[in-house]
Amino acid sequence: MSGADRQRTRWFLRNILPHEQALRGWLSRSAPSGVDPDDIIQEAYTILAEMESVEGIVHPRAYLFQVARSVIMRHVRRARIVPIHTVDDLERLEHFDDAASPEQYAIDRDELRQLARAIAAMPHKTREAFILRRVQGLPQRQIAARMRITENTVETHISRGILFLIDWFGRSGNKRSQTSRTVEAEIASIDGRARHQSRH
Amino acid sequence: MAERDTSRDIDQAASGWTARLDRGPLTPREEGALQAWLSEDPRSRGALLRAQALSMASESAQALGQDFDPAAFEEPGRARSAGLSRRQAFAWTGAAATVASVAALSVGVSSAGAVISTERGEIRLAPLKDGSTVLLNTQTKIRVRYSEGQRLVTLLKGEAYFSVARDEKRPFVVEVGGRRLTTLQAGFRVRALGPDPVDVLVNQGEVDVGASALTPLASPVALQANTRLILSERGERPQRLSPERVTQELAWREGKLAFEGETLQQAADTFARYSQTRILVPDAGLAREPVTGLFAANDPVGFSRAVARVFDARLEQRGDSVVLTQAATRSSGSQ
Repeated sequence: MSGADRQRTRWFLRNILPHEQALRGWLSRSAPSGVDPDDIIQEAYTILAEMESVEGIVHPRAYLFQVARSVIMRHVRRARIVPIHTVDDLERLEHFDDAASPEQYAIDRDELRQLARAIAAMPHKTREAFILRRVQGLPQRQIAARMRITENTVETHISRGILFLIDWFGRSGNKRSQTSRTVEAEIASIDGRARHQSRH
Repeated sequence: MAERDTSRDIDQAASGWTARLDRGPLTPREEGALQAWLSEDPRSRGALLRAQALSMASESAQALGQDFDPAAFEEPGRARSAGLSRRQAFAWTGAAATVASVAALSVGVSSAGAVISTERGEIRLAPLKDGSTVLLNTQTKIRVRYSEGQRLVTLLKGEAYFSVARDEKRPFVVEVGGRRLTTLQAGFRVRALGPDPVDVLVNQGEVDVGASALTPLASPVALQANTRLILSERGERPQRLSPERVTQELAWREGKLAFEGETLQQAADTFARYSQTRILVPDAGLAREPVTGLFAANDPVGFSRAVARVFDARLEQRGDSVVLTQAATRSSGSQ
């Protein structure tokens, strides 16, 4: 990763990622049917990744919601058929939530603990490789030697570890469109993916 | 046209590229492949950004120190060297190990029957000598009696998941509340909680549910995978469940509780099965709010904190209780 990329990634990690759960909750409540919140989120992140500069963004949370809204609009336009209530919903979306709640930042104190728990919950081999890489700081090549597995396998474990974190911090692995309000903290994947993976 | 990738596929690829980049510099050919992937779909670059951000976040794991032991995070604050705690709370890795059949309790099965039980907050895997296993949830008690003709397990109370190894000659029978559930091979959950009717959920295979004493003439019901049956005197009808719903129902096997719009009160009651810590919600309006999410069964306080954030509630810890009350000035969500 180049220095600029790293900087963007760090900005994203600090300013955008903490709002992902709120965004997903909002999207699953309000997005028009047929629009998948996870698709919208990824596309919104793409827009943030491709911006020349993010310096002008004073309120990242509000900005993120704006971008997500524009992605929805694009999807709706592409689909051409716009149910009447969709328009209402989109109007409503505009007024949603532009102030970051102070509680969001209180979570940070627990971050390291959360991370430790996430790592502890990984499938066994993946966990071992991930700890060697991230806690001990060994390069993948040395991990391969230590665990007596190929470098490619190490890479696969690291990849699974990252995917595990995406699930752990961002989503539950289930679609939750029916409920009106969503409690999304402390979420982990339950769809059995972890166990499937450990079979290889 | 090829089927569109799901957001999941894209996350998987993004994680793969992030791990590849973490390994070392790309070859020119790989660089080309990465660029091609990035331009393939408008979601790719965003997914890669997120994967890299989480990879970066995980770098702070170095702060955990060289002697970081993930087992210590099974339950924060509990000393590893301590003897067997009666309130042995299960935790992420502990439960995962259980599922992987690593931590196992061997059971001597005599003809009189062996009784196996769990305390509150405990989860336990009991391997049986025929290769079947029973996973006992919190506060559960079973009796195992194997004979020539049948493999009999009685669920005396609580909730258990049975993974039955195939044996054509000796059916596996679960006795619960005067009913008999019979199978040759299956994976199924049986729950018998106090006053509630017995709840049977088949995950794999097929289970025959015998008639009750009150309706002796009724023919047995064959339950297929992804079906649930509530055993009550009147009108038993198997319900089909989505695989997601089955996963949710069985989340406890991994030490987790899954809610999908249950009321806060119901969620609090569920947590009470697993921990001494009580969640009290005196405000009826708040108690009726629906909750959704996946939580560690042994962490009622963490759950309460999350609830307080979402519902704008006040959280107070009093001894063994966590009290959630509506904050005085509660802003409504929309304008």
